[in-house]
Amino acid sequence: MTWAQLHADSERLAIEAQLAARARDMARAIDLYKRAGDLERQALDQLDVSKTRTRGITAVSAVALWFKAGEYALAEQLAHSMLADPHIPDFAREDLRSLVQGIWTESSKQKAGVAFVPGQVLVSVKGGEVVTGGAPLDLIVDNVQTIQAMFYRTIEYVNGVSHRRVGRPTKELQESCRPWLFQSAPGSYQFSVAIQKPAQPDFFKPAIEPERIAQHFLEIVSASSGEGTSVLEKLVPDENYRSTFLKLTRNLAPTGKTFDRIEFRGSGETRPVALGVESRVNINQQLRKKPPFPTTVGEVLEEFRGTLRAVHLDKDWLEVVVDSVSVHVEGLQDTVDDVIGPMVNRAVIVRAVRVSIKMLKFVDIELSD
Amino acid sequence: MTDIDSAKLLLESLYERHIGLTPPLGGAFLETASVCLSRHHFSPVEIQIACNGRRSARLVEFQRPDVRVLNAWANNIDTTESGAYGVCLAAVEVEEQLVAVRRAETLTGADWYVAPIGTEPDDLESCFRLEVSGLDAGGRAEVAARLRQKVEQTRRGASNLPAIASVVGFKEKSVAIQKVGDGG
Repeated sequence: MTWAQLHADSERLAIEAQLAARARDMARAIDLYKRAGDLERQALDQLDVSKTRTRGITAVSAVALWFKAGEYALAEQLAHSMLADPHIPDFAREDLRSLVQGIWTESSKQKAGVAFVPGQVLVSVKGGEVVTGGAPLDLIVDNVQTIQAMFYRTIEYVNGVSHRRVGRPTKELQESCRPWLFQSAPGSYQFSVAIQKPAQPDFFKPAIEPERIAQHFLEIVSASSGEGTSVLEKLVPDENYRSTFLKLTRNLAPTGKTFDRIEFRGSGETRPVALGVESRVNINQQLRKKPPFPTTVGEVLEEFRGTLRAVHLDKDWLEVVVDSVSVHVEGLQDTVDDVIGPMVNRAVIVRAVRVSIKMLKFVDIELSD
Repeated sequence: MTDIDSAKLLLESLYERHIGLTPPLGGAFLETASVCLSRHHFSPVEIQIACNGRRSARLVEFQRPDVRVLNAWANNIDTTESGAYGVCLAAVEVEEQLVAVRRAETLTGADWYVAPIGTEPDDLESCFRLEVSGLDAGGRAEVAARLRQKVEQTRRGASNLPAIASVVGFKEKSVAIQKVGDGG
């Protein structure tokens, strides 16, 4: 049989598999993906080495089909043999490397003996002080904490939980949907995050598709850093959640001092959602679109650059030390624990309106380092 | 009202013209495109198409989806993505005389490859990879920004692989198409 005949048969099975997966008939989808992968592998063998594009595309396709079928050993073996082939074009080489990363992470998850919600997010931190495979510990710890906070918020949001201002997520949520961090093959500094599958089958509301949590997370990050507000407004109609997601995303966005860029990719996706230094500008534009409260004539917006020394969300105040002088700011409004908590003892920019000689009313806070 | 170009944008029976599609998948593209368009418009609707510097207006007809179809396609994101494939495939067909001939798997989905109508290529050496993106809401500026983003991603992700980036804005009633790479 020719490449065209074998590939056409593989295509038909892959389409059937896609439709079966959409209908949640996973057993049938996996069987169809496996058969499609077997045919695509045979199709690859029919190709002359001069057909570089077709070989590259077919190789990626065969590895991806076996990956979707859970045939990790076959997928990895083929990916490595194709990566060792000098005739494989660059675009296919990049896709194959991404697939290998996905295979390693999925294999690690299997070995962990814990079930995970399908889908994961690969995080890459780049530039500045970050080197290949290494990064300042505090930078990574901060990012990991914020990503964990965003995952918890995403799960709460999709599950219809009321917006939480103080405290951590419920113990039930933390135990049921624990985020796991997996080491990934170093490119810059990379790791991947997967969500542990809740033991109780009815943890998520019936309309929620757990496998979409990672995708939803990526969509929120992408929409938060976009130029307009309409996409995020549509994605997250709840204003409190929207504000929290924007502020958490801003905490992740680089200032350019210690790193330049952070990228997020869905499992195997080669096109990342990226936050660069410019993302902070877009996020601030979205946040400042609506004034936090009405101001009167004579009230002046002031900006303080210093170290955040204390926060009391219940009593509604914070203190920032600027040039050894403590500045007291009141009225924290919708500021939430997981946004402001990681900023304590860090260099921050606080914006506040002076309503009297002694009183400053809080507008916004962001990291400045 | 602009002059509407004579050829319509045909969403129905895509699989009969696009040899790479199967009837069930062509049907899914038709249903999802109808769901996406009916969120904002009534049939028929005039779609503005900007294709490689040319502009045209095409009429598109669709059936208003019933409750069963709406329930089947309740996931907004998946539906917009699938509907965008339906509209973009119909658009490259009418504007560039290209049809979907082959599909190749990627880890998160699949890429479609298009070739001139009437050809049944024996390989993918001269086919264009079709990059598709859909926007449910958003105006012309958002569609243009998404196309720029898509073109940039396509250039970065597929050196030496000719591709066509396409974006459909369902609320805006517009499609933007641009060739990328050494094919364009």
